[in-house]
Amino acid sequence: MLKVESLESGYGTMQVLWGTNLEVKRGTITTVLGPNGAGKSTLLNTIFGLVKPWGGKILLNGMDVTYYPPHKKVESGLTIVLEGRHLFPSMSVTENLILGAYTDRAMERLNETLELVYSLFPILKERSEQLAGTLSGGEQQMLAIARSLMTNPEIVLMDEPSQGLAPKLVMEVFDTISRLKDEGLTILLVEQNVFASLEISDYAYVLNEGRMILGGTIDEIKDSDEIKRVYLGI
Amino acid sequence: MSFFDKYASLIPVLLIYVVLFAIGILVPGMWQPVAFIMFYITLGQAFNIFLGLTGYVDFGYVAFLALGAYGMAIAVESLGGANLGFGIILIGLVLAIVMASILSLAVGAVALRLRGAYFAIATIGVNEGFRYFVEGARIWGGSEGIIISGAMRNIFGRETANFISTFVSDILVFIIAILAAIVTVLIMNRKMGYALMAVREDEDAAKVMGINVTKYKVMAFIASASFAGLIGASAWTLKMTYVFPSDVFLITYTVEAIVIVMLGGAGTLMGPVVGGLIYGILKYYLSITLPGFQLIILAPLLVVIVIAFPEGVVGALKRKARGNARKYLR
Repeated sequence: MLKVESLESGYGTMQVLWGTNLEVKRGTITTVLGPNGAGKSTLLNTIFGLVKPWGGKILLNGMDVTYYPPHKKVESGLTIVLEGRHLFPSMSVTENLILGAYTDRAMERLNETLELVYSLFPILKERSEQLAGTLSGGEQQMLAIARSLMTNPEIVLMDEPSQGLAPKLVMEVFDTISRLKDEGLTILLVEQNVFASLEISDYAYVLNEGRMILGGTIDEIKDSDEIKRVYLGI
Repeated sequence: MSFFDKYASLIPVLLIYVVLFAIGILVPGMWQPVAFIMFYITLGQAFNIFLGLTGYVDFGYVAFLALGAYGMAIAVESLGGANLGFGIILIGLVLAIVMASILSLAVGAVALRLRGAYFAIATIGVNEGFRYFVEGARIWGGSEGIIISGAMRNIFGRETANFISTFVSDILVFIIAILAAIVTVLIMNRKMGYALMAVREDEDAAKVMGINVTKYKVMAFIASASFAGLIGASAWTLKMTYVFPSDVFLITYTVEAIVIVMLGGAGTLMGPVVGGLIYGILKYYLSITLPGFQLIILAPLLVVIVIAFPEGVVGALKRKARGNARKYLR
C-alpha cells in the first residue's frame, strides 16, 4: 500500500535519510524502531511532505506521490499524528474533531466518521464539550489520533504516540492502535517504546543513521541479533 | 448558523461608521478629525485581513499602501490628457489594486514559506529595498516623487480638484472600510476562514488536516494588500496630491497598523474598529493638546492597554459576552 524506495532527505545541508527503503502492507501495523537521531521522525515527516524529499520515491497505492504537498497527501488518504499532539487547545473536543474533517474527502463522511471515532474513544464523547487544552495527557493523545481519523484516511503515520504518557496510559494508546487495525486501517508507527510496539505490530524495521539495517515480520525481528545489539547491548 | 447570525457582526461595525460619518458632516469642524480617525480604522481593517486572520506579522505592509499611492499618481499623471473625468480615479484605484496585489503575490510566494519571526524580518527588507529601488533607479520620479496637483486641476478644474482632495478622498476611505469589513466577514464565514483559523492556531496541525496552508495564506495576503493599495491611492495620493517615497514607505505606518490590530483584538471583525478609534482619537487630540509630547503619553498608555487586554479590547469583551451578544461580536 505504501512503498518507500531509496528515500533521501534532510535539513539544509545536513542529510538525514540515506536511501531508506520501506514497505507497508494494507491492513497491518508496521513499526520503525531505532535509536535517537536515527531519522525516524524525519522519515515520517518526509513521507507526509512536511520535509521535502531530496531523492527516491514514495508510492501510495502504486501512485507516485513523492513530491505531493501535505494537503494532497491527505486527499489521497494518508495522514499523520505528529509528535507532540498539535491540538487546538482553546477549542472543544468536538470542534477539534470537526475541524479535522476539513477536506472534501472527509466532509462526505463526516457523520459516520464522527460516530466511529466516538465509539472507538468513548471518553472523548463524554468530554465532547470540554476544551482540548484541559484534557489529560492520555486523553489529548487519544484526541490527536481521533482527529487524524476524521480525515477519513486509509493509512495513518504515528510519531511517538506514547511519548510523555504514564505506563498505564501507554498500554491504552497501544490497545487503541490495535483496534484501528481491526477497523481496517493501515498504520506506520515510529516508537522508542520497543517492547510495547513490537507487541502490536505485524512488521518492523530498524533504522540506524538514516538507513534501514533490518526489516521483516515481527518474529524475525524479535529473534534477530541486531535488535539485541541495538537495544539491549548484548 | 442562520444567514442573520453569520452577518450580524457587521451591524455594530457599520453603525460606528454611520455615527462617525454623521458627526463629521453635522458638527462643524469635525470632518477633519473624523477623516483622521477613519484612516486608522480602515488601515486596521485592511491589515487585520492578513495579520488577524493568519497570525503572521508583515513589517513591510506600508509598501502596499505606497504602491497603491503610486498606482493612482501614475494613472492621473499619464492619462491626464485623455479627458476621462472621474473615470481616471476609477482607473487609478484599479491600478492601485493591481500594483499592490502583484507585489503581494511576489512577496507572498517567497516569504510566506517562512514562519513567524523569519517572515517578519524578510518583509522589513522588502519595504526598505523597494524604497531604495524607487529612489536609486529613479523610477516614478525617484526621490522627487510624483506631484499631481497640476494634473488634477487640468482634469477637473480648480474647485472640483479641491473637492476631491478635501472630501471625495475621505469618502473613498469610508467606502474602503465598509468593503474591508464585508470581505473580512465573508472570509470568516467560508471554508477559508476555518482554514486560516487552523493556520493561526497551529500551522502543522492545519497541514495534517489537509489544508493547503500556503494557498490560503497567500490569498489573505493579496486581499489585505489590495485594500492597502486602495487606502494609499485615496488617503494619500488623492488627498495630498503628491507621492514622495520618503513619506509613503515610512515604517511608522506599519507599526501603527500592528498596534491598532493588536490593541483592538487580532482576528476579530470589531477589533480594528475599536483599535483605530482608540489610537486615532488619542493621537489626534494628544498632538493638539501636547504637541511634540504625544508619544510620551501615547506609548505608556498603549503598554497599559496591551497588558490589561492581551487579546485586545474586543478579544476580552468576546470572552465575557454571553448568548445573543456573541453574534454581534466577532
